[in-house]
Amino acid sequence: MTQTALAETGPETPNVAAHARAWLDANLPGTLREDRLQDRAPTVPELCEWEAKLHRAGLVGATWPERYGGGGRSLRDHLDISREIGRTPMPESVNSIGKELAGPIIMAVGTDAQKDAYLPAILEMRDIWCQGFSEPNAGSDLAGLRTRAVQTSEGWVINGQKIWTSGASKSSRCLLLCRTGSVEDRHRGLVLFAVKTDTPGVDIREIRSIDGARHFCEVFFNNVVVPEADLLGSPDEGWAAATRVLSIERATNRMHRAWRFENQLRHLVRACAADPATRRLVETDYRRQIAAVSVDIDLLKGHVETLVGSLIDGNEIGPRGSLPKLFWSEAHQNFAALALEIVSQFPVTMSDDLKAVKQRMEDIYLKARAETIYAGTTEIQLGIIAKRILRLNRGA
Amino acid sequence: MTDHDLTPDDFTDTARAVMNACAGAGGTAARMSLLAEAGLPGILAPEAAGGMDLPLGFAVPVLAAAGRGFLAAPLLETMLLARAFAGVDDAVAADLAAGTTCATIAWSGAFDGTTGLVGAAPLAAESDRVLVFRTDGTAVLVSKGEGVEVEAAATLEVDRPEDNIRLSKAAGPELPAERVAQLKAEAQVLRAALILGAAEDCLDRASAYAQERVQFGKPLSAYQAIQHSLARDCLAVETIRNSIARSLSPHCATPAAAARATFVGAARLGSRVAESAIQVHGGMGFTWDVPLHRHLRMVKTLAAQGGAADLLEAVAAELMAGEDSEAEEMKRAG
Ligand SMILES: Cc1cc2nc3c(=O)[nH]c(=O)nc-3n(C[C@H](O)[C@H](O)[C@H](O)COP(=O)(O)OP(=O)(O)OC[C@H]3O[C@@H](n4cnc5c(N)ncnc54)[C@H](O)[C@@H]3O)c2cc1C
Repeated sequence: MTQTALAETGPETPNVAAHARAWLDANLPGTLREDRLQDRAPTVPELCEWEAKLHRAGLVGATWPERYGGGGRSLRDHLDISREIGRTPMPESVNSIGKELAGPIIMAVGTDAQKDAYLPAILEMRDIWCQGFSEPNAGSDLAGLRTRAVQTSEGWVINGQKIWTSGASKSSRCLLLCRTGSVEDRHRGLVLFAVKTDTPGVDIREIRSIDGARHFCEVFFNNVVVPEADLLGSPDEGWAAATRVLSIERATNRMHRAWRFENQLRHLVRACAADPATRRLVETDYRRQIAAVSVDIDLLKGHVETLVGSLIDGNEIGPRGSLPKLFWSEAHQNFAALALEIVSQFPVTMSDDLKAVKQRMEDIYLKARAETIYAGTTEIQLGIIAKRILRLNRGA
Repeated sequence: MTDHDLTPDDFTDTARAVMNACAGAGGTAARMSLLAEAGLPGILAPEAAGGMDLPLGFAVPVLAAAGRGFLAAPLLETMLLARAFAGVDDAVAADLAAGTTCATIAWSGAFDGTTGLVGAAPLAAESDRVLVFRTDGTAVLVSKGEGVEVEAAATLEVDRPEDNIRLSKAAGPELPAERVAQLKAEAQVLRAALILGAAEDCLDRASAYAQERVQFGKPLSAYQAIQHSLARDCLAVETIRNSIARSLSPHCATPAAAARATFVGAARLGSRVAESAIQVHGGMGFTWDVPLHRHLRMVKTLAAQGGAADLLEAVAAELMAGEDSEAEEMKRAG
């Protein structure tokens, strides 16, 4: 399997960034702005409508082939658009698993019929995808997963349980990793499906997370029958496809991150500096620490922009995807800890601007706890770097 | 092969070989002429000054090799001076590029026109000339002699010890303020390149040692605590490398801010890698003969020469002013 689906190099479009910026400035509804005090969280239909609009404006799926509703453009254009998306205080996609994980995987291993059926539906927000990999006994050790798929005359019959499945209760399709043999087979005999979540026997239960949200879920599969047409790739290709998904997830997914961090930092600084009650916090007390966060953001941009250049040159991501993942997750946690310390010193009586920044930073702080856990924990990334980049296991 | 076909990587092997030769040479002048034989001091200077007229990116592998190889010569300074004097005083630039004049820069302090002390001049005692910054932003390349005395100073550096310069007059070829500003800006990425080489060498030595040294019946590299520490060092090295690449890329929207962050980041991350390599070596790491401390000394000295702490203040000032240089750049482009 190659990275070509990801780095598909169409022509670079001049001024794609200027278009993106102008469009976002003109079209982001006030109710979706993360830098404003909101009385309620946006609903899934509102978010779907917004994301479908982003797609029609050419800001989503830039590198996907036009045949599937994409822009047929270069990865560099995607980077240019991502910068503008990051600079705009808008919600994270409710379908990033569809757009950034399922989509590229389907392009790599799917049949033409599957591509036609699944891909445009992702960009148009008709299908929201979730990722069913982790299980109660298979987290870091993903190859220990037990959910079984048995081929029968009616199709594949699936039994087992997934957990921590983000957005499952809002999704219509699940990128599901199962095994055909026994647990002892480890990464052999793993198989990927695109399961419709309304299939009889699929039972989804939300789990409340530390930020109070009900976003990740447990998903139970009880004699769920999946048609052959929803098998992705060949039955033994599951592990190769899964590791590819994970390296994408670590390296290129949410390419806008560095610029979103910068937007969050600038929001914090701007709001504090504008208020006499909090100005001292950013201008004096935490001045150097804030500058150090800004340096980290530039260093993160270095990882992202160099990685994009390397993909355009045709290189594989492989274990090197662990480097940006480790860097962004920890840099963001450092920022979040600093931001929380600053907003925790706000006075009791606050302007709406201060309330908005306090709410945003508290939410970021809590959500950032997950960033060193999902997409492979910090310890797992360090192990990958040690063993597969530094090759320290030789002779050990 | 024309210059056009060259890539920066083509210089890595040559540079490493020259650095090895320099390690065996006696004295700074001898090292400068070895470097000049390979054309390295003039790599950035225009052809009119006898240089190769290559972009800044070509100096990166050369200085990385210098950092890795403990080069005891003011190569970074000479490269920058040969480029800065070209067009201002071609004869001076040509002497620098040819390695016939050995020059350095007093990175700290500025001369107010009457009398004073400037400092942080690597290897000034063994150089013929020293660039001295003036309080008005210009600079002058003074020759040692009357009114220009080198004074020994306390210095952390072993391979490129710093000296002070006591001045009562400052005469010589001059650089206008904009050339001085450009030289200082270019020095940031080049310092990061020296740090990159030193950090790579620290990581290589620590990884090799961890695979050799056996305790509790296993090589140190079999222990997860050691693996994770080395993995973090690997991330640090790659972060420096990628940030240098980004700040020199034609696609970078904010090269000045990127270069500043590259240097500030390299100063912090490079120290981390050297400190951690010492830790992995145990008692051996604390010995004078294991050269990790020389890398650490260089990184800390470069951090001070480039004013890493002051640069952080500049970053803060821009943030407070609400300046988003990248967004401004975009608006102009759009
Ligand atoms: C917010 C959130 C969203 C998620 N979304 C999804 C999703 O959509 N789909 C999905 O499939 N999964 C999802 N996950 C699951 C995630 O991938 C797992 O939580 C992760 O892989 C860790 O597995 P675990 O929770 O079983 O922890 P464990 O593997 O049990 O790890 C517990 C701790 O032990 C450490 N550890 C484990 N093994 C080692 C080792 N060999 N050496 C040293 N330390 C070790 C870990 O680093 C961690 O600190 C999500 C998780 C979170 C928090």
